[in-house]
Amino acid sequence: MLASTASPEYIAQERIYPVADIIEMDRIVKIFPPSLVALDAVSVKFSKGEIHAIVGENGAGKSTLMKILYGMQPADSGEMLYNGKKVKFADPGEAILAGIGMVHQEIMLIPQYTVWENVVLGYEPVKFGGRLDVKKARELVKQKIDEFGFNLNPDAKVEDISVAARQKVEILKLLFRNVSVLIMDEPTSVLTPQEIPQLFGELKRLRDNGHTILFISHHLEEVLELSDRITVLRKGKKVGTIKTAEATKAGLAQMMVGREVIFDSIRKNQTAGEVLFETSALNYTDPDKRPRLIDVNIQVRAGEIVGVAGVEGNGQLELVNLIMGLIEPTGGSIKAVGEDITRKPILEKRKRVAFVPQDRANMGASIAANIAENVIMTHHRLDKRFTRWAGRILDFKQAYSFTDEIRKKFDVQMSSGEAVFKSLSGGNQQKVILGRELLLEAPFILLDQPTRGLDVGSIEYVHQRIIEMRAQKRGILMISADLEELFRLTDRIVVMHKGRVVADLVTEKTNVTEVGYLMLEGAAYEA
Amino acid sequence: MKRKILVNVVGVLLAFLLGAVVMLVQGYNPLETYYRLFEYSLAPGKIAYTLSKSVPLVLTGMSASVAFASGPINLGQPGQLLMGALLATIGGLYIDLPPLLMIPFLLILAMLGGALWSGVAALLKYWFNMSEFITTLMLNMIADFFTYWAINYPFFEKNANHPQTPFIAKSGWMPEWGNFNSSVIVMVLAFAVIWFIVNRSTAGYEWRLSGQNSLFSRLGGVNISKNYLVVMLLTGALAGLAGGLVVMAGPHRFIKDIGGNYAWDGVMIAMVANSGIILTLVFGFFFSVLQTGSLGMELITAVPKELIQVLQAVIVLIVVAGRGYFETFFAKLEARRKMRERIA
Repeated sequence: MLASTASPEYIAQERIYPVADIIEMDRIVKIFPPSLVALDAVSVKFSKGEIHAIVGENGAGKSTLMKILYGMQPADSGEMLYNGKKVKFADPGEAILAGIGMVHQEIMLIPQYTVWENVVLGYEPVKFGGRLDVKKARELVKQKIDEFGFNLNPDAKVEDISVAARQKVEILKLLFRNVSVLIMDEPTSVLTPQEIPQLFGELKRLRDNGHTILFISHHLEEVLELSDRITVLRKGKKVGTIKTAEATKAGLAQMMVGREVIFDSIRKNQTAGEVLFETSALNYTDPDKRPRLIDVNIQVRAGEIVGVAGVEGNGQLELVNLIMGLIEPTGGSIKAVGEDITRKPILEKRKRVAFVPQDRANMGASIAANIAENVIMTHHRLDKRFTRWAGRILDFKQAYSFTDEIRKKFDVQMSSGEAVFKSLSGGNQQKVILGRELLLEAPFILLDQPTRGLDVGSIEYVHQRIIEMRAQKRGILMISADLEELFRLTDRIVVMHKGRVVADLVTEKTNVTEVGYLMLEGAAYEA
Repeated sequence: MKRKILVNVVGVLLAFLLGAVVMLVQGYNPLETYYRLFEYSLAPGKIAYTLSKSVPLVLTGMSASVAFASGPINLGQPGQLLMGALLATIGGLYIDLPPLLMIPFLLILAMLGGALWSGVAALLKYWFNMSEFITTLMLNMIADFFTYWAINYPFFEKNANHPQTPFIAKSGWMPEWGNFNSSVIVMVLAFAVIWFIVNRSTAGYEWRLSGQNSLFSRLGGVNISKNYLVVMLLTGALAGLAGGLVVMAGPHRFIKDIGGNYAWDGVMIAMVANSGIILTLVFGFFFSVLQTGSLGMELITAVPKELIQVLQAVIVLIVVAGRGYFETFFAKLEARRKMRERIA
């Protein structure tokens, strides 16, 4: 889908191999105690001047492999050759000195400093007596910006520039330290669809300059568009390294998950029923008097999936917290199943609203409690079968048989209901939470990034369950940062921008470009 | 489960080993000292006495355990114990009923006294959002001086040469059979009730889950502020009950420093027990063994009984620190085994 946004200069060119290997990682093993084998004798070679993508599901070992290369974590066994010499970096500082740098998912800059100050920090040119040579520093940074054709103002404060620009500053920081190998950890996860081609253009220019770029991702379109070669990891093992020119999306997906995955829309046609959920002129101003939500009107009908698209931080968090009752609106109302629930106690809301949060460990479960205790939350107050003596005593037998019901219905891999929730894998944790919430049988379901951090197999499974709920005529509001997911599942998409709903679109009549543009600009683009 | 027991046993043994080193350095014979310690507290004639002495430790320990496991950091057991003791004493000074009514009546008064004091902290939180971590500690000081004033002025025993009240009515004395004081029965009952509430009741389930993750519980429909109030009142009542029993089983009057160090030891016991109800009972009894035994140890071996305080502190440190360390230790062992499999 993203290919449609790329301009001609980004069409992959055929490159000539083999070029000299700059890095060789040989039989790297990494075990996280007690028994998680993160890397199982992975051997991989990176050539000078290539963009090498490393793909795999969550937990495949991509980041771990790169962290070992970058000196953030020691390998338990295996060797590393860099420019033909055996190396072992004790910390990232050593790696940077040797010429290997990493740009992390979270951007780590000082917001109050200007671009050039951030770039030279820790590597400042000094005048006599150890004083910072301001003129020279600024000049050097400006030179680098021009050299690589980055569209950046060296005197802008970091807090005032966009996320995409901050990412450039991070890259510039490494280039300023004369790094020749750049590791990018999912760099597109913080960008909007419109910002991605620009980043790719810059990365390609760096490659053509002789830099080696290692690119971690699990977005297949991006990988196909950007890279020269692709290494696929699965469950800590290397599946293979292939040339991008010879790869297809379906083929890569199969290598990643070990079986075929379907990518198309999976909705069936169905007419929506009565309005199940409705916000009317919902407003929220935070304690610092900043308006976070402005006149938000959203409707969800029975048998309908409505997606909320938007760059993170445009009011989605506040919307969820208002619906669930963690904060109170400054104006407007929320109706669910024909009743005003704006200021009802949370338990009252829960009779009508099932909720799958994005943050499993903090909002979705108590990771220290056992699985059965997690599974009966909310049910223990709403369903009489879980209690005796007028609700005062819990019936643990029922709790365990209910856990078993969820295990079977939702295909959860677990030892028993008495095991601690923490011991489940991420995908299984999400299945348990999904099971608990969907079996509440509330007519309205609020899903906040229900597949965040899950691997492709689990995502597929969660999507199937969501579609099932739609067929059961429940109303679903789904917040997601993943446009592919929204287009696959939803009937309508509302776009949020700076606390407002800027568009309410029928999914079939829109496209990724339009939604992406609205997310970024808050207004429809001129076609 | 097995591992849990192991951590506690190893922790205690290590602490004893360290204690032995301290004794050797000072020129005492550790084996004889430990023998005397346990002989004095666990011999057939002595064990009933040790059990009776464990009552305030276990009750204040359970108070702290239930609070910590449910979220509120109630550190007001010393004050709540004193207020419970004072209220029970006042009841025993002015009211006389047949023993069968008198004892429950005074115990309820004691619980009310403790709950009243923790209730003040709960209200301060409710009205002014003041942290109970601070207010309960402050209220300890107030209770300390308030009860001191009470036994010096309004309830002072005429002509006594020491701050104390007169005896409470005989009907309110806990019956005693030899060394066995019936306050132990009250303790066992309280233990059973608390265990059941925490592990089997709907409220206890909500307390535990809120203690682990308050946001999750709130989203699940749990009424957090109501539970907070109930837990504060209940744990205050438990500490108050300890205070009432100290008066009714011991000197039968409120004398200066009657609270001793029971409540702080109770907090320590809750920490070693990782806020588990059963472990609180076990460690409460064990600390009582150490404290009663220390008297005999001092009598016979000339090792000062203060050594036991050192031992208690070392046990707390080693068991609490060990709990985290053992987890990583076992995890590393497992990882090394995997590593070897891979190389082979």
